[in-house]
Amino acid sequence: MRNKFDRQLSQLNTELITMGALCEEAIINAVKYLTDSDEHSRDACLAADSQIDEKERDIEIFCIKLLLQQQPVAGDLRVVSAALKMISDMERIGDQASDIVEIAPYVVKSGIEGSTHIRDMADATIKMVSESVESFVKMDMDIAYQVMEHDNLVDELFDKVKDELIKSIAENGRNAEALIDLLMIAKYFERIGDHAENIAEWVVYSITGKHKNPSCYQEQDMRR
Amino acid sequence: MHKKIFQSSFLTVFLVLIATIALIMGILFHFFEVQIQTELENEAGYLSQAIEKEGIRFFDGFKKQTNRVTLIDADGKVLFDSDAEAEKLDNHADREEINEALKNGTGKSIRYSQTLTEKTVNYAVKLSNNSILRISTTQYTVITVLLGMLQPILIVLVVALILTLVLSLKVSKAIIEPINQLDLESPENNVAYEELTPLLRKLAEQNQTIKEQLEDAYKKQVEFNLITGNMSEGFLLIDKDASILTYNSAALELFGITPPVNGNVLAICRAKDFRDTISNALAGAKAENIIMREECCYNMIANPVFEKKEVIGAVIIILDITEREKRETLRREFTANVSHELKTPLTSISGFAELMKEGDVSEDMVVDFSASIYEEAQRLITLVTDIIKISELDGKSIPFQSETIDLYELSEEIINRLKGQAEKRNITLNLIGDKTQIIGVRKILDEMFYNLLDNAIKYNKENGTVDFIINKAENDVTVWVRDTGIGIPIFHQSRVFERFYRVDKSHSKQIGGTGLGLAIVKHGAIYHHAETRLESVEGKGTTVTIRFGRESFVGDE
Repeated sequence: MRNKFDRQLSQLNTELITMGALCEEAIINAVKYLTDSDEHSRDACLAADSQIDEKERDIEIFCIKLLLQQQPVAGDLRVVSAALKMISDMERIGDQASDIVEIAPYVVKSGIEGSTHIRDMADATIKMVSESVESFVKMDMDIAYQVMEHDNLVDELFDKVKDELIKSIAENGRNAEALIDLLMIAKYFERIGDHAENIAEWVVYSITGKHKNPSCYQEQDMRR
Repeated sequence: MHKKIFQSSFLTVFLVLIATIALIMGILFHFFEVQIQTELENEAGYLSQAIEKEGIRFFDGFKKQTNRVTLIDADGKVLFDSDAEAEKLDNHADREEINEALKNGTGKSIRYSQTLTEKTVNYAVKLSNNSILRISTTQYTVITVLLGMLQPILIVLVVALILTLVLSLKVSKAIIEPINQLDLESPENNVAYEELTPLLRKLAEQNQTIKEQLEDAYKKQVEFNLITGNMSEGFLLIDKDASILTYNSAALELFGITPPVNGNVLAICRAKDFRDTISNALAGAKAENIIMREECCYNMIANPVFEKKEVIGAVIIILDITEREKRETLRREFTANVSHELKTPLTSISGFAELMKEGDVSEDMVVDFSASIYEEAQRLITLVTDIIKISELDGKSIPFQSETIDLYELSEEIINRLKGQAEKRNITLNLIGDKTQIIGVRKILDEMFYNLLDNAIKYNKENGTVDFIINKAENDVTVWVRDTGIGIPIFHQSRVFERFYRVDKSHSKQIGGTGLGLAIVKHGAIYHHAETRLESVEGKGTTVTIRFGRESFVGDE
């Protein structure tokens, strides 16, 4: 019985890694499309997103089956419940990546060169997503905490991008629509960062049983 | 075994004990019964004789002894009873012993009381006048006796039980002890029980087999580890759930992970190509893929492992093809560059020629055009010559004649050749050093230094200087070519030795050159086993160092 359960847990792990890898793919391709407007990346991003949705359903059903049939306790229960929470964050990452891809053509068409900050933001977000997946794969708390810290950087970058865009609109209203689209893309990056942070938090939870780094928690409260 | 022996011996002793008590009781009881019977018979004998003699009057003044005496007439009417009044007793004709006595002269019967605790033994004798004399005695039954003796019996039993317990324990321990003392490492040396000898012999045989098999397995394991450990290719073995079973150090190195590694193979790498390859292999098809990972390029081959037509895992081999891929890219670039470089002058030539073919060109222009065509053709020739040179160095197909060459003389000669070019831009050429001999190929060395000096002049500033320094150390010779030119930006420094690589991407004709100069220097140096080093500061100048090692060294004669 235990043997079967172990196998199912390892299967769950595989599925989660795959889903995480798909998230990385989605966001990397979305950024690539934004910078190079390469049609191939666009398709890759959308394909990854639909695969992510599928995986979310599969994993959800699988987790509930595990909960009902095996009735896990202690660490195993944490793993399964953290998985349930993680997949919804991953699914959001996929959705937002595909949202970026949808908006990107308008921005590209208008020919505005995004500032370096938004490019930094894209890179930082990609890094956060892959690190959060990495922390899950290796069950490494240090990487998870790094992701949480990284989120502050993304938030700062978002503020900078916002200020810049406000300035551009004030100076030159012609491209206002595209600039607003760019702001939305920046916001999506920021949201993706938050979801990556959530994933890292669930990783910490499934290891320690405590959710959210207390210091991190306070900071978030203050921001709100 | 100890428990079993203890249990059975204990049970046996206990059962025997109970059986013995029961048997003894039975025998004793029987013995008593027979005795009572005889007693009754004897008493009946005496009494009957007395009654025969004296008749019923005998009972007048009869004193009751232990046994009850009853006289009954032939009809069953009680004439006298020692325990009760005769008139009150009912007819006794239907009693078993009376009936029997009437028939046979004597009769006996045993009657149990209602509680079964007592029994009455009756004995009847027929007298001569057909009346019957009966003598009865009451006796406790076996059960009563047993119940009465319960306490002593129980005490005996408990004592016996404790004794049995202790003894059984001791006995079973004594039996087991030699078996426990068996030396199973060398079972054939034991002398415990004869009956165990075949078993022990078998054990010894099996021990030997196991030992051999273990050694065999260990040897195979060592062999396997040696093979996989020394492979430069990464090796992974996974089961059907994609968990890693075996890996070698090369695999970890390729993916840059630190051991211990266990669990899912996706923890190593989760790139899409990697995932696809693994899932294909686990679906039962051989899969091959090229994975790009942080500037490195791996060829990944995954083979499914079958057992009874079912996939039970996969073997994954990972080859590092970064170098190969890089060379491939270089070769492709080279071809593209060659075609490009060749095409540019040819296009010009063709253009000029076309104009002249039309005939609508004045005399002066024809001369001009011819000059241009000549120039472009010269360029082409230089280019092709350079390409031939570099291919010669590349293929090493033509054996070069090595000889002893004086570097100082050689450079002096080269500098003379370039003097005119240098003077045009007012550049000073300095040759510093002594006569130094090395072993090398004159043609190649000439090419190398010519190119270096040529570059140093071409990329120099007006009124600059070029130093050509030869230094002979204990066992090597170093040549420095130092200019005060425009320098090479750091970004390009590592690539200037590549073929056709130019810092100035416009392939400008202003400066000329084929883009093969430094490539020829590099290959020439490699041919002579010399080291090439480039130091450059943008805007300040460039120094190229070539150090000839032992292979080219000629000591002082």
